[in-house]
Amino acid sequence: MASYFGLDKLVKAVRIIRNHGGIRGALYQLYRVDDLKDGTLVGEDALGNKYYENKQLLLGRDRWVIYHPRYGMDYDGSLVPAEWFGWLHHKTDKPPTEVAPTSYGWLSGHTENKTGTEEAYVPYSTTKPKIEAWVPPKRI
Amino acid sequence: MLRIGVSRLLQHGSRHTAASAAAASAARAQSSAPEKIEVFIDDIPVMVPPGTTVLQAAAEAGVEIPRFCYHERLSVAGNCRMCLVEVEKSVKPVAACAMPVMKGWRIKTNSEMTRKAREGVMEFLLINHPLDCPICDQGGECDLQDQSMTFGSDRTRFLDTKRAVQDKNIGPLVKTIMTRCIHCTRCVRFATEIAGVEDLGTTGRGNDMQIGTYVEKMLMSELSGNVIDLCPVGALTSKPYAFTARPWEIRRTDSIDVMDAVGSNIVVNHRTGEVLRILPQVNEEINEEWLSDKSRFAYDGLKRQRLLYPMVKDSSGELRSCEWEDALIVAAKALKSADGSVAAIAGGLVDAESLVALKDLVNKLGGESTCTEEIFPDAGTGTDLRSSYLLNTKIVGVEEADLIVFIGTNPRYEAPLFNARVRKAWMYNELNAAIIGPKVDLTYDCEHLGDDPSIIGKLLNGSHPFSQRLNTAKRPMIVVGTSLLARPDGGVLYSQLLQLSQKLRSGCEGGAEWRVLNVLQRVASQVAALDLGYTPGVTDICNHPPKVLYLLGADEGAITRDQLPKDMLVIYQGHHGDRGAEMADVILPGAAYTEKTATYVNTEGRAQLTRAALVPPGMAREDWKIIRALSEIVGTKLPYDCLDDVRMRLTEISPNLTRYGEVEEANYFTQASALAQLVSGKQDTTPIDVPQKKLEDFYMTNSITRASPTMAKCIAAVRKEAANRYIE
Amino acid sequence: MLSSLAKTLASVRGVRHIHRSAAASSDALFSHVDTPENNVDTPFEFTPENLKRAKAIMSIYPDGHKKAAVIPLLDLAQRQVGNWLPISAMHAVASLLQMPRMRVYEVATFYTMFVRDPVGKYHVQVCTNTPCWLRGSDDIMAAVQEKLGIKTGETTKDGLFTLSEMECLGACVNAPMIQINDDYYEDLQVSDTQEILDTLAAGKKPKAGPRNGRFAAEPLGGLTSLTGPPPGPGFKVRDDL
Repeated sequence: MASYFGLDKLVKAVRIIRNHGGIRGALYQLYRVDDLKDGTLVGEDALGNKYYENKQLLLGRDRWVIYHPRYGMDYDGSLVPAEWFGWLHHKTDKPPTEVAPTSYGWLSGHTENKTGTEEAYVPYSTTKPKIEAWVPPKRI
Repeated sequence: MLRIGVSRLLQHGSRHTAASAAAASAARAQSSAPEKIEVFIDDIPVMVPPGTTVLQAAAEAGVEIPRFCYHERLSVAGNCRMCLVEVEKSVKPVAACAMPVMKGWRIKTNSEMTRKAREGVMEFLLINHPLDCPICDQGGECDLQDQSMTFGSDRTRFLDTKRAVQDKNIGPLVKTIMTRCIHCTRCVRFATEIAGVEDLGTTGRGNDMQIGTYVEKMLMSELSGNVIDLCPVGALTSKPYAFTARPWEIRRTDSIDVMDAVGSNIVVNHRTGEVLRILPQVNEEINEEWLSDKSRFAYDGLKRQRLLYPMVKDSSGELRSCEWEDALIVAAKALKSADGSVAAIAGGLVDAESLVALKDLVNKLGGESTCTEEIFPDAGTGTDLRSSYLLNTKIVGVEEADLIVFIGTNPRYEAPLFNARVRKAWMYNELNAAIIGPKVDLTYDCEHLGDDPSIIGKLLNGSHPFSQRLNTAKRPMIVVGTSLLARPDGGVLYSQLLQLSQKLRSGCEGGAEWRVLNVLQRVASQVAALDLGYTPGVTDICNHPPKVLYLLGADEGAITRDQLPKDMLVIYQGHHGDRGAEMADVILPGAAYTEKTATYVNTEGRAQLTRAALVPPGMAREDWKIIRALSEIVGTKLPYDCLDDVRMRLTEISPNLTRYGEVEEANYFTQASALAQLVSGKQDTTPIDVPQKKLEDFYMTNSITRASPTMAKCIAAVRKEAANRYIE
Repeated sequence: MLSSLAKTLASVRGVRHIHRSAAASSDALFSHVDTPENNVDTPFEFTPENLKRAKAIMSIYPDGHKKAAVIPLLDLAQRQVGNWLPISAMHAVASLLQMPRMRVYEVATFYTMFVRDPVGKYHVQVCTNTPCWLRGSDDIMAAVQEKLGIKTGETTKDGLFTLSEMECLGACVNAPMIQINDDYYEDLQVSDTQEILDTLAAGKKPKAGPRNGRFAAEPLGGLTSLTGPPPGPGFKVRDDL
């Protein structure tokens, strides 16, 4: 009945809005990612990004990430660590909360892509400078 | 420079300038010869004085004869045979470089016989010459390459193996690949005749002949680099320049050398923002076509120890690089708050434009002392009269002199090209030389009168045995070194010298036009600074320390930080991090002489222009522009916006500063010596000394040379050579 | 065999036959290399006697041209040392004549008779130029080498003999010949050579000159010309004059 009149959609919308922390939160989320989705929280990574799943949505849209609020509008795909990346892109159906990733001693931790920031990687010059600058002597 | 070039061009066409100049000078020298004789070069009639060689006559007619061993400034050897030409009615071809022309000779420089002779000579020369042009540094500027293309055969008939000759190690400047040598002996003649170092020679004979030193030793000369230019093949090349560039890739900028006060004309060879090498430019009145090793090889100092960014001392007392704005504001604030207590010291490599800008700035701020690092006595007329601090007889004047007395100077290392000119006059004009000061080797016979300063007084009152010769000299020259003038009793000695030279002038043949007294400056900026009214010496600043001290390239340690009050702010503007920058609170990076178009006045008083070959590196800027920018921030804007305006200001102060290439003569000896008689003071008994006595003292004399690895290598090599028992 | 093969190949390839001769180079070095025997510290000083000679030689030349005496003085020094000229002797000559050392080196290296490397007491110099060669200098050379047990350019172990191969020594009329120090031994047979070397080794001095009994370059069998007294004036002149 409710579905006949489309009331279930309304209920769903209300639920989604509530899940996103009220109207204000929902509007912010809409502004941030242009989407409002309802799903179950699967897990959270070390950076605080939350991973959701809703099997009822189309494949490709059914898993998503909500970045930690501290990133604001400055989020970036590279914030997703490798273990969650696999789940997010359907490489595996087992999120790292279920099957912990193998940890090796040589693995360095995940770092996001710093391009465009001050910490961006700039390759150093391998050529000798044509002009060597004077370095002031250190005062003792 | 330009003027000479144009006139030559008009006279003889563009290609034969050097040879024709020599011929012309020979012609001038023999102007008293009664009549000229007529010869025909390829049917062109030429009138030449008797004794002219075929080659010179041909040059007069605008015909260039190929040559390897012949060089205008060296004696004639006649051993390469490349200059063979046909003379009508002569059975054999004659060597044009050695054969004086006879009346009515018809010389054919393009006949079948001449052509075949050249081709044959070229074939012989190439028997033993390696075909390594692709790896030879001379490639592209090689006489042998050029002439074999023009005059040589296009095939060889020799299938034998070529001979090989052991390379010699003659020091860190000249690289030898002796297999390439064609035995023209130009280098031997240069070392013997001009450098005065008889260390090069030919050993062996026939096929075994080789050029070298026979024993393992270094070519210990301050002019050794010139053999690189003289070598017509790639046997002697530049070690620092080895495998760096090809001549056709290089851009060339005419400029002026500032390593000494002679002001040699140079060509800066550069590519992609780097000086690759420095070559001499012909200027008959200054350096002929030679260049001292310091001027030629110190260019790698321009790439090291450079000031690339403005720097300001932070709260912890460390110099930190910063933006121009920050540095200028710090400097301007200090200058403003100093309330006129501002002084400036100019170093030895500074150009006239920045000197005038700095002086104007300091004076506008209310400061009075603008000093130079070099000292000149204040007694008598001091530096008020221009003739008292110039090399008045000019460098060419040496060739007219018959007696030269050096006092407190070692011209060999203070001005190598001036010394080369003296040697030339000593060899060909019977010039006699004497020296008062330490006993040094000047490459020619020089009577050592002792190092006691009282000799000057004795010469003045005629009680010295040498006085007799001095008084009878027709055109005597007295050359005073600045190290003599820097003595505490420099004023007394200088006034004695002024009186002595005035006395000699009245007696000598040269008359009033012959100026006996000459001051040999050591640094390139000094004459311009004195012309602009700088005070020589920094005693004034030591006695009355200002609140802000502006060092413009002052690196010789005339004043040290310990002598200055702690709260004084020192601004250093210059191109090298050296003694000046070390004691500075604010550093403003300026341009070196290859990076700015600027005026320098040499020791004769000849204004000349350096031209910017490169842009200043990093954030460095042209010096006068920095001062101009600073003046605007301080609030006392200097009234010039472009280089022409600065030159106008220079002209306003002293018109000679912008009359480029010409010597502005000054002759105020009567007045100067009259005032000199009033000078009295205590005379020291310390012996007269000079700072540069040995070759190792020659290489490092300013901030550029101190930064140069090549100069360091030279010093190391010379010191090592001291242990060589084969050095005489 | 190899050379004939090369010739064959050359002719097959049709390369032009151009006369080629080996580049004649001296085996001596024309730059100085320090050795224990010959270096700047090698003791050399003119003996008082030789110094007097040197002064006499120098006095021949006018003032300002004393350096013209460099060749006789170098020779004097070489004789004093004994057949060779150490570099210290060149320095001594240079300082005596007040000329740059390089100018002395130039002279000493130019003339092949200044020997710049140590040699034995007897410097055996065998001429191998064409006239001597035609008259059997190869045999003489072989005999010397066999006798002394050294090759050309070497010195015997006892330091007595050094063997050198020489270009023409100007005694072609008495070919073949060898020069030992200052003496010419001419018209040699192999046996003569051996005898000369034996005598020298024994410490005696063999008689210099032709070995076949003739006087100087006179014909062996007596004079063939100029046998009579020289004709007087009017010889072969027309009677009517």
